[in-house]
Amino acid sequence: MGNLYYNKTAQWAVYVVFFAALGVVPLMVSDSFLLNQFATYGVYGMLALSLSLCWGFGGILNLGQGIAFGLGAYGMAMTMQMQSQTESNPIPPFMLNNSLESLPMLWQPFQSTTLGLILAVAAPTLFCAVFGGIMFRARVSGPFFAIMTLAMLSAFYTIILDRQAYTGGVNGLTPPGSFQFGDFEIDPYSPAAYWVVFGFLMGATFLTKLITQSSFGLVTQAIRDDAERVRFLGYSVAGYETVIYTISGLIAAVAGCCWVMLVQYVSPAQMDVSFSLSIVIWAAIGGRHSLLGSILGAFIIQGAQSYLGDTFLATWLLILGGFFIVVVRFLPNGLASLVEKAFGLFERRDPTSSPAPDGGRPLPAE
Amino acid sequence: MSGLLEIRNLSKSFDATKVINDFSMEVVEGTICCLVGPNGAGKTTTMDLITGRIKPTSGKVFFANDDITAKHEHLIARAGIGRKFQVPAVLRDMSVQQNLEVAFSRQTNPFRNLFKFRKAGLKDKLDEVATLAGLTGRLKERAGILSHGETQWLEIGMVLMQEPRLLLMDEPIAGMTEGEAEKTAQIFKDLRKSATLLVVEHDMGFVREIADVVVVMHMGSLLAQGTIQQIEADRRVRDVYLGEQEAA
Repeated sequence: MGNLYYNKTAQWAVYVVFFAALGVVPLMVSDSFLLNQFATYGVYGMLALSLSLCWGFGGILNLGQGIAFGLGAYGMAMTMQMQSQTESNPIPPFMLNNSLESLPMLWQPFQSTTLGLILAVAAPTLFCAVFGGIMFRARVSGPFFAIMTLAMLSAFYTIILDRQAYTGGVNGLTPPGSFQFGDFEIDPYSPAAYWVVFGFLMGATFLTKLITQSSFGLVTQAIRDDAERVRFLGYSVAGYETVIYTISGLIAAVAGCCWVMLVQYVSPAQMDVSFSLSIVIWAAIGGRHSLLGSILGAFIIQGAQSYLGDTFLATWLLILGGFFIVVVRFLPNGLASLVEKAFGLFERRDPTSSPAPDGGRPLPAE
Repeated sequence: MSGLLEIRNLSKSFDATKVINDFSMEVVEGTICCLVGPNGAGKTTTMDLITGRIKPTSGKVFFANDDITAKHEHLIARAGIGRKFQVPAVLRDMSVQQNLEVAFSRQTNPFRNLFKFRKAGLKDKLDEVATLAGLTGRLKERAGILSHGETQWLEIGMVLMQEPRLLLMDEPIAGMTEGEAEKTAQIFKDLRKSATLLVVEHDMGFVREIADVVVVMHMGSLLAQGTIQQIEADRRVRDVYLGEQEAA
């Protein structure tokens, strides 16, 4: 029967069970504060998923996933901020404090909710396409690309911090009301907000899973293995890398929008290096080759941080760091590889076992 | 008859060292051309120059009358040139079958491939190539665990999956047994019906078996060109290459 871990049908079944379990959460949880917190974990799951696609699957380590997340979050916050402005009061208060007399050009499109949402997602995606395109064409790869993303993240962080009149500086943006979509108001503490995040997380996960199983996914996997060889097969390595980096950025941008919808707040902290590094840690601990493992990694680490972090305070970082070292040392492919190993033991006991049903070591996603 | 591949006055220098020096040759469609010469003659560098891995200092490469000099590797591959490397380069972390599937590169557009889950014509081609390469029973294995001979076969298989018009084979039978080499010779001769081959090989027995034309390189330049009989009778070739082999 082979290792069940690599069986595509089994993988999809696990996904369905996973999302069914997440789907019943709002029915079980009546505490609206807790539900909101669970929804933010969903956002972190989406971020871990985006990194799993880019890093685990595409082999492109991205230390600046906060760029796409942060730009998406700022776009959403600007949209929500403008929703609370009226004819008599057309300018956000922090701009008045910075002695701006009219709404800057940068902000004007966000007066329209539709346009604002489109920009919040399109701008970071376009950034990834352009930045990735330039880098990958120049064959910047591996640690060099990781360093470039880090540098770019710091640049964005500095600009946002510095342009106080346009971005709210270190205070960030705190839209006073919840997000209005048409006539519908999405209260961040309501099940509706949870469902929105749930829907995007599920959509993004299934989409990513399909990508990994497509011909595109096969080529991407080959590029991770030996990019130089793949060029001589006729594939544009830079093209594939740009596409996967951009899709990953798109998912992170959507996550940024969802996050602001839930917390009604964004600040440069979302573009801080430490936040982007924690995305890497979630994926690494959960298992970057596994989409579901990465999502669970985010749930576990952020969940533990919320509850144990309060108990241990400063020691929490030491515990997290220690845990990270143990995982990297003993389980380089994260907690998901434990599941793989467990199924592997099961397989060996099975006397009728044959090599994996769908091609040796197939797409290491799940 | 003009050649499918034409190399005109190609030169390549690394710093002050001239590795390829005013080298010209052509490969006629539907033939097997063997490129031979002592170590360091510039055979693999010539392959690198044809496939775009390195750019020439001067000179031109034409493929099917198109100038492909200094084009990107993937564009040259798409134009119809497949290459097997001297040190077999397969995707070691993927299965044998996945290696062959990736090499089946009729569709190279990333956006189109996002929506492709089954490749038309893949199964037949895969069966054909796997049988030819003797890898039918090994399809599920990870390519990294194959023996050296099998790895050579797999990479030859990958080049065949590409369905190129011109196949560049850099030392295809290194590490193969005599039987395997004979089989390779047969496959190459069969391929001549649909494709053109440029083969770099040291084994003169193999060259004698397959070559329509032999090109001898020495110090980055053309030393001699002709049929195997002409080459073996050539005094200059005996001096710099074949004599050396007989002595060894």
